[in-house]
Formats: sequence, structure tokens, C-alpha cells
Amino acid sequence: MSFLEFLETRSSDMVELGLEHAAVVGLSVLLATIIGVTLGVATYQRARARGMVLAITGAILTIPSFALFILLLGPLGLGWPPTVVALTLYGLMPVVRNTITGLRGVDPAVLEAAKGMGLNRRQRLLRIELPLAWPVIITGVRVTTLVLLGITAIAAIINGPGYGEFIFTGLARVGTPVAVNLVLAGALGVMILAVLFDILFYTVRKLTTSKGIQ
Amino acid sequence: MSTQAPHLKTANQETGVAGSRGLSQYLVMPVVLGIALLALYVYVSLQELDSIEERSLNAARLTRAVWEHIQLTAVSTLLTLLIAIPLGILLTRPFTRRIRPYIVTVLTVLQAVPTIAILVLLAVAFLFLGFAAAIVGLVLYAIVPVLLNTMVGLEQVDDAVLEAGRGMGMSRTTVLQKIELPLAIPVMLAGIRTALVINVGTAALVTYINAGGLGDIIVAGLSTNRIVVQIVGAALTAILALLIDYIAGLIEDLLRPRGL
Repeated sequence: MSFLEFLETRSSDMVELGLEHAAVVGLSVLLATIIGVTLGVATYQRARARGMVLAITGAILTIPSFALFILLLGPLGLGWPPTVVALTLYGLMPVVRNTITGLRGVDPAVLEAAKGMGLNRRQRLLRIELPLAWPVIITGVRVTTLVLLGITAIAAIINGPGYGEFIFTGLARVGTPVAVNLVLAGALGVMILAVLFDILFYTVRKLTTSKGIQ
Repeated sequence: MSTQAPHLKTANQETGVAGSRGLSQYLVMPVVLGIALLALYVYVSLQELDSIEERSLNAARLTRAVWEHIQLTAVSTLLTLLIAIPLGILLTRPFTRRIRPYIVTVLTVLQAVPTIAILVLLAVAFLFLGFAAAIVGLVLYAIVPVLLNTMVGLEQVDDAVLEAGRGMGMSRTTVLQKIELPLAIPVMLAGIRTALVINVGTAALVTYINAGGLGDIIVAGLSTNRIVVQIVGAALTAILALLIDYIAGLIEDLLRPRGL
């Protein structure tokens, strides 16, 4: 069976796994963004805290995902819960780093002006600093998404959702004609999602960036 | 897999974290890893091991797995750098200026290809298994982030500096050797670290194509349903990865040119 025929006969699986893959990545990216931006906002003004948060989230990213999935298997079991927890942990670093970079890149003169206009600390953060840092933050979120799309494929080891199922089923059927098609389909699915997410981020970035800094 | 860390560790300057660390900060990671190893040892000694668990959890088997893992990481990192750095230099020469943004975009999206897919494809499509196949798979995946790192590093060198070099009568080759490469060293060092971290993580997966490493221990634990074996394999993989990243970080700090 040719690859295209394979895709045709398995199209409903392709779509279903793709939706799962996108959903688990989307949820994890959302959680990582909320936690990561909060951590960045909480630490960007203090060198020590900043260094510590970056060191810890960086160390998490160093832990091989295969190992982390297995270590979470004990406390969290199989399927979605360990997958979302691991992906969220992996997603923190780029978001935290870019939040800190973005917030520290805001021109001090602009902040002085805001202070002079009588804006308090919270207003300055919400109305001046975060909007100005937003393009940098969203770039971090985009990097996180691409990284997580790839890692999710490995979550199939712990019965996680997504295209990893195709890849590992292919591995189990090594030597049969369908094996290559399964693995190719899994890889292709992830690539398509990567392109779609990239387009999404480009659009979101355009739409959510303050008019003044576009 | 993991592999996750595509050129993510390069932005120390912008985040305002000083490049040189105090002695106490250098000690944190070894101490944490030492405690983790000790805890793992105590945990395993407290267990009553059955014969299946003993077959995986003995010094000879574990040492062999760790050693294989280190070999896989070292060989694949060396090859990655030998390919990616020259290619990165080539792709930042003036003749590519028009297409460079497209190259970078394609490389960025390529990073999303799951490592496991590359490894498994080598196995199912070409029946290519074992150490050599693992090296090919590891290198194929790690090339992209290191290449991106090198290109970004070379591109961020200030054009005015290059112009000054040309004005002083240097040839293009001399400008590359004397100015561009030294100025790009920090970024390339970060690339070496990235390649190491990616490869040590991906090497945990090559057990699926019969290439050994610590993944063997994890999979032995999974297939025999022995939790102790799974935990030992996974914990040792994590500790080895963090240790290699730590050592690479030390080397990075030592080799960074003083003037920067």
C-alpha cells in the first residue's frame, strides 16, 4: 500500500490523533504560559531569584523526557495526567526566560514617565511593562510549543495521547509493510501541527501586540 | 525526546544573569546529584530484589549501560559539531543573504520532528539497527539546533566591526578567522552544550533500535513490570544528563573569551 493510500484509509485516525496531540500540547502550553509568566513577573527585578528560577527551569529541561515520563508513572499513573505535568514542566523555561528578557528590556525612561503620570506598580506592570514585553513573551511561548510537539510523541510510552501511538505501533510491527507508513504518518502529523501552530502564533502575535510597537 | 533543549540556553546576557558564578553556586548541582544518587542507592538496598530485578540491577549491567550511554553521547556530539559548525559558517556567508530567513524558518519547524520518529524510521524503513544507526539518528536530530545556534551567533556579530576589519585590509577569510569566529565563540559553546544535552536525552531512546544505553534498563523494567528497575534506569538517565550539562557549563565558563 502506498503512503497516500495509507493516509486515506487511516484518515479518521490521523485526525483523531492530531486533535489529541494538539489538545494535550495546547493545554500544557497554556499552563506553562500562566505559570511561567507569573514566575517571570515575580522574579525579574531581583537578580538572585531570577537566576534561581532560570537555573531550575533550565535543569528540568535537561532531564530526558523518557526518564521524566517514567518517574511520573509511579505517582500519576498512565495517560493524560503524567503527560500534561511533564509537558508543562518542560514548557516553563522558554516562557520564563523570555518574560524576564522582555520585562527587563522595557526602557527605564518609559517607566519613569508612567510613574510621573501617577500610575502605581500594578498599573505600570499591566498597562506598560507586559504590553511592551508581549512580543518577546509570545516568542517564548512559540518555542515552547514547538519543543512540546516533539516531546509529546514520546508520551505514547506511558499511553499518552497523540501521534506517538502511530510511531510506537510502527516500531512494534518492524519488518511489515505497514510499519514505515505508520511511522511516516506519525512524523508527518507532528510536522503539520508544527506548521499550523506556527501560523497560529504569527496571527496571535499580530493581533495581540499593542498598535504602538508594531 | 528531550531533546528538547534546542538553543534554549543562550540568553544569559539578556536575562541579566551573570556569566561567572560564585563558588557556592558551582557546588549546588554536584551536591544535589550526590544526594539523589545516595537516596537511589538507599532506596534500592532497602528493597527485597527478586531474580528478575537482580538481573538488571547489578554493578556490571549498570556500569555497561552508563558507559554505552556516554559513548553514544560523546560520538554523536562530536559528529554533530563536525557537520553543523562548518555548515553554519557556510550558510552565513554573504551569498545566502536572500534565502537565510527561509532557511532559519525551515530549521525552526524541523525541530518539532520527534526524535523517536527519526530513530524508528531508520529501523523500520532501512532495517538499520544498533550503535551505528543510533549515531546516525542522534546526529540527524541534533544538527538542526546546533546549526541554528551557529548561524544566530555569527549573524549577531556587529556589521560595523566586520566593515572595520575589511577597511584595515583584511581578506574575507581573515575577517572570519580573526573577528567573526572569536566573537561567535560564546554562542558556539552554548551550541556544544545544547548538542550534549539533546544527545544524552535522545540516547535514552536508542534502546528501541537495539543500541544499548540506560534506556535498556528502563525498558527492561517496563517489559517485566518491575518498578524498582524502571526508577533506577530513569533516575540514572536524569542524573547523567544533569551531570553532563553541569560539566559542559563549567567548560563553557572556562573557555569564554575574556574580552566579552
